[in-house]
Amino acid sequence: PRILNSSSQLSSLPLQILFYVNGIYYIFYFLATLAMIVYKSQVFSYPDDFLAPDLAVIFLMAILEVPRLYLGCKGNLREEEAALGLSLGLTVGSVVLSVYLLAWQTYVLWADVVLTAVLLCAYGLESGLKVMAIAAFVS
Amino acid sequence: PADTRGAAQARAYCAPAPVTDVARLCVCDLLVAQCDVNCCCDPDCGPEEFSLFTACSVPVVTGDSHLCRQKAAVYSLDVEANPPERIFQLIDQVNPSIFCIHATNYKQALYLRSPEMPTPENFDDLLNEFGSAAFSAEPESWNMDTNAPDPPDANETQRYEYGVPIQTEDAFLRLPSPVVSSWCSDANPAGFLVNQATKCIRSVSVEKCESIQALNMLFYINSSILAVPKSSQLVNISVQSVVVQSLDGTRTLLKGADVPRLPVILDELCLNVVLGVSYHITYTDTGEIIEAAAAFVLGAITKEALPIQQSFQISFTQVDTKPVPLSGNPGYVVGLPVRAGFGPQGYPFPAGFLTNKHSQLSILQSTPTQDCLAAQGARAPVLFGYNMISGCKLRITAAMKCQPLAQTLLDVLKGQSFPEYVASFGNSQAQDVLDWVPITHLHISEQRISNTLQSSCQIPVSFGIEVKWTKYGSLVNPQARIVNVTATLTTTTVKQLPSGRERTIPITSSVVFTDISSPAEPGYKAWPTINIKLPFDFFYPFV
Repeated sequence: PRILNSSSQLSSLPLQILFYVNGIYYIFYFLATLAMIVYKSQVFSYPDDFLAPDLAVIFLMAILEVPRLYLGCKGNLREEEAALGLSLGLTVGSVVLSVYLLAWQTYVLWADVVLTAVLLCAYGLESGLKVMAIAAFVS
Repeated sequence: PADTRGAAQARAYCAPAPVTDVARLCVCDLLVAQCDVNCCCDPDCGPEEFSLFTACSVPVVTGDSHLCRQKAAVYSLDVEANPPERIFQLIDQVNPSIFCIHATNYKQALYLRSPEMPTPENFDDLLNEFGSAAFSAEPESWNMDTNAPDPPDANETQRYEYGVPIQTEDAFLRLPSPVVSSWCSDANPAGFLVNQATKCIRSVSVEKCESIQALNMLFYINSSILAVPKSSQLVNISVQSVVVQSLDGTRTLLKGADVPRLPVILDELCLNVVLGVSYHITYTDTGEIIEAAAAFVLGAITKEALPIQQSFQISFTQVDTKPVPLSGNPGYVVGLPVRAGFGPQGYPFPAGFLTNKHSQLSILQSTPTQDCLAAQGARAPVLFGYNMISGCKLRITAAMKCQPLAQTLLDVLKGQSFPEYVASFGNSQAQDVLDWVPITHLHISEQRISNTLQSSCQIPVSFGIEVKWTKYGSLVNPQARIVNVTATLTTTTVKQLPSGRERTIPITSSVVFTDISSPAEPGYKAWPTINIKLPFDFFYPFV
């Protein structure tokens, strides 16, 4: 049995903090991006066949985020590398989708760039910490 | 010839490429190769012209203002310098808003899309995408739409209505006309009661002229017209007359137009080619066609005179009426003659009273010599809406007698037979008595103050017709209707001249059209009221 407050605790505290912050930030990001898409569709010319992919991407990202964070938290707390690995895989998917939102959206506003860049930084940091945690769990 | 035509059309179809470079865009550069005033971005202007400008009408040229960073061309005039000079700067304009467009992956977001040019390959797709009832390819489908509102009742007799295509045995009575370009299109149906006259060009070859249908007389008369839509009663098109036009343009009427003359090649000419068809259709007032006749103009064509121009015309006459040219339907059309006529003397308004001889109101027409007595009946018709003034000069000598002079002048001013009634609408029929307005005559005699007791004869010096008209009918399509016509004759006394002296008096005649329509008041339906009432037991426990 592992003792929690001894040095044999392998769960990563920074990673857990990051998950928590990421969850809150993602809710804000999702609502902000959705609001901006609504704004863009009113102010600019946004035909339906360009609007549909953008909305699909953002909802897909939201759907991916939930299991990603859940698996990450569970894996980190229980020190299971499988769950953490799965979360890492989902993070890759989320990174791809946010790169789409950053570069290939129909209209990329400056606010979009800022918010998505922050999200990407968070993902990058998370991925790094996850890799280190997996390495710690496995060894 | 067909190849070169295709190549020329292909060249014409390329639209110019859109200009998006801000430094080269200039919206005030309207005159080609000339300097536009106060247009600082005009490339045709030089430093001398810039020194004369007072301000720049276009100070900044930018792209979409929503972009975060973009190039902007700024034009300004430096008025401090001597001479004033134009300053052109290409700056980076930054939009500080957080919602500025950083990038866009949608081409049409910032630029208008160049429309697709129709080519023979994509025409069908474009027609399917953008075509509607107005651009439908088949006249048959159009026919379905116009007949759809009628209940499909076999017992109810169909009749032609205005604008409905005239049906023949196989399809429609065709009136070739130019569509889009000047080339003849044979798919244009003639509409009932729509008088049309069209001219179009047809490209033919002299060698094959015998086999081209559209040059053959029989093509235009072989299918009979249906008297009533969708019936089996047929009306044959008879040949009314045939006029033969020679190569130099002289036309002769052929006697005995029974035998149809078909195109025939002779040396380098093709004879008996149809150059013009004029259809005359007689109809009853129940919308049935009872007679149809066609008058042809046949001519000869040579290789040098290609392509040939054909002219087509169709006119409709109601049975038992003499065709009277209408001046509007129903309201008068500006520029068409005002219709007038006479009633029988004495008995007012029996039925069918107006004879339409000299059925136009006319005004004296000024001649170059300007001599009233030499004006031999030159008159101009009074056209609705056109105010006219004309006149002549009368030279009075001592030897002239007053009374015959007055009578002559009256004839000169009024014309030989001045009408008594004017048609109130452009299409008033002679038998509708209430549609005709009587002409009121006013006589003003100018007496000179010194000759108060003179009752000597007076000569007319001015004749003015004032036509008061009003707008009648619906607010969106008002029709002009003549309400009142007043003819004012001004006469004056002329003192007897001592012998040897002569005087010149100007005589004028005028027509004025005055619009007396009262301002229109649109009538609206009452605003819908919202009747909300709560059910009486809404506040049940408390009431």
